[in-house]
Amino acid sequence: MKKLKQLPLLFGLGLLAWAGSAAADVATALHNMFTLPADTSAINTKAVAMFFGFVIVSLGITFWAAKRTKSTSDFYTAGGKIGGFQNGLAICGDWCSSAALMGVAALIYSTGFDGLIYSVVPFGAWPLMMFLLADRLRNLGKYTLADIVSVRMARVPSRTLVSSASLAFVIGYLIVQMVGAGTLISNLFGLNYEMAQVIIGVLIVVYVAFGGMIATTYVQLIKAVLLLSGATFIVFLVLQKFGFSMNGLYQAAVDNSPLKVGVMQPGVLLPDPVNAISCGVMLILGGAAMPHVLMRFFTVPDAKEARRSVAWAASLIGYFYLLTFFIGYGAIAFVMKNPEFLDAKGVIIGGANMAAIHLAKAMGGDLLLGFISAVAFATIVAVVAGLTIAGASAISHDIYANMLRHGQATDAEVMKVSRIAALGLGVLGIVLGIAFKGQNIAYLIVLPFTISSTVFFPVLFLSMYWRRLTTTGMVTGGWLGLASAIVMLVVGPTIWKDIMGHPEALFPYKYPALFSISISFVTMIVVSLLDKSARAKAELASFDDQFVRSQTGLGAEGAVQH
Amino acid sequence: MQHLYRLIHANPRFHELERKRSRLSWTLASIVLANTAWYIIGTAFFPKNAETTGLLADIARFWGQPVDAGAATTWGIYIGLAQIVLFIGLVIFYINKANGELDALKDAVIADALRAAEEQQ
Repeated sequence: MKKLKQLPLLFGLGLLAWAGSAAADVATALHNMFTLPADTSAINTKAVAMFFGFVIVSLGITFWAAKRTKSTSDFYTAGGKIGGFQNGLAICGDWCSSAALMGVAALIYSTGFDGLIYSVVPFGAWPLMMFLLADRLRNLGKYTLADIVSVRMARVPSRTLVSSASLAFVIGYLIVQMVGAGTLISNLFGLNYEMAQVIIGVLIVVYVAFGGMIATTYVQLIKAVLLLSGATFIVFLVLQKFGFSMNGLYQAAVDNSPLKVGVMQPGVLLPDPVNAISCGVMLILGGAAMPHVLMRFFTVPDAKEARRSVAWAASLIGYFYLLTFFIGYGAIAFVMKNPEFLDAKGVIIGGANMAAIHLAKAMGGDLLLGFISAVAFATIVAVVAGLTIAGASAISHDIYANMLRHGQATDAEVMKVSRIAALGLGVLGIVLGIAFKGQNIAYLIVLPFTISSTVFFPVLFLSMYWRRLTTTGMVTGGWLGLASAIVMLVVGPTIWKDIMGHPEALFPYKYPALFSISISFVTMIVVSLLDKSARAKAELASFDDQFVRSQTGLGAEGAVQH
Repeated sequence: MQHLYRLIHANPRFHELERKRSRLSWTLASIVLANTAWYIIGTAFFPKNAETTGLLADIARFWGQPVDAGAATTWGIYIGLAQIVLFIGLVIFYINKANGELDALKDAVIADALRAAEEQQ
């Protein structure tokens, strides 16, 4: 027990050491930041103007929200007063990161049909979340994922596991977004990379620390509307070129792509079955248990509204994914052979990630380019805000209030820690964003999904559905799954071979999720069955009470007391 | 609160609610899982050459077939689009059931428990 209590501390120290190693880069970064690019004509004034519009509106909302953020409940969950439709839009904002717009388009641009696995399979997470998790989560939870688990499980070990994994998830995801934003901005706005990191970092801290969940919700909401309308408009223009014939678009893609008919067939991105299955399982189970998304179930008054918001979110996200079927192929049709977007060697300027952005310019000129650039930047800012509030809640609610202070801290103290945590995460985001500049971050995109599918999904699923799960089983399986996932990622092809330069990877698969999820589930089940302790017996006995609460919502947070 | 939980757990109507909800959830979830498995098989086992045979390869080969002779659009595109629409439909079907029939039963179960608790006092 005593050892477990030290874990968050060790985890924090590890992070500090990691951040510290980046300090040497900070001096160069500071120098770069205040040096304007030599060619100021590279600055896209339309895009900058539209992004500033977004910033001013969102800061106005933050100012308004700050006056309404008085208690921890306001801070974490907007007091549980968000309506179903608004929350659905905000969830759509949380979910659709720049990876969904630019990443899926980039994959289709370079590998064709297989890129769509990142649209259809993670979307399958939505109905699954709705049918198996949403009601029960809303009825059991309060502010964070750890709250749900600790309804029945011992508080300290379960919170240590879930909050540490949440932080690893948040930080991995944060780096991906920050590095993506920096690259995007240097390509689009003509601002330099370090400046972009600071702008995003500062905005996030202001939104989250002052406006809490209320401001974060509205930022997500505006961003979702912008993203959906921008993507719709691009697809409209693309299809218009072909007289609204879907086959016309795909024919143009087949004609332009070096893959020819292969661009419409599977088998390029994920050539072997094990990687494809592992990737699919990771996307659907990982997608169903993301902490920053599930946290939004607590911002609505009850399970009914939670279901309504999931239905709205699923419809909007599904609609967005339908659009991705046309954006990526549109880029093949209009960008791949267009000299305006290719460098001297015929390679797309800024990399395949820019395919969707170039498509905007090809379709709607500078104005649409400016709009989509501003949307992409707003998308990153909003996703990072959602991650930051999830991370700040894990630190202030799980680690500080429940583990260090054993629930004895006052509301004001917890609020203070939340704000400090938001500030810390913002600074950490800037430092890590600069430290990872120009590095291959492909493995970091796999990390959050792997953690989510290996730790959060089995923990949530078994604690709600399986009577026999005990704290010891859950914690052993969770840590073992997490450790095995990280080891397999490190010795896998992406890090061991491509980044560290070893000739052969020790673990042959790029996606370890299939193996780490199995380790996690099997260990949890076996250890729980072997656990004959008194605590295990008590946990087993309390399942019925938890079960009634999860089904009826009686005693749930924020529910109307009868 | 624990007292109420015990009363509810003893109520046969609660087990009816639980059975109905779980039958609905798992039926819909298995449709989703089967579709996702189909999608993953289509991607994972797509045969590299025309000679490959076997059940999985045959299922997957279909994904790369043009919908019409000479068309560029493959079945995979249609299946992917149709799956997204189907999933949205299932979610909307579930919310109608859950917010209607199941929630009415849930409210009745809670009302039963509150009444029983009052009578005991």
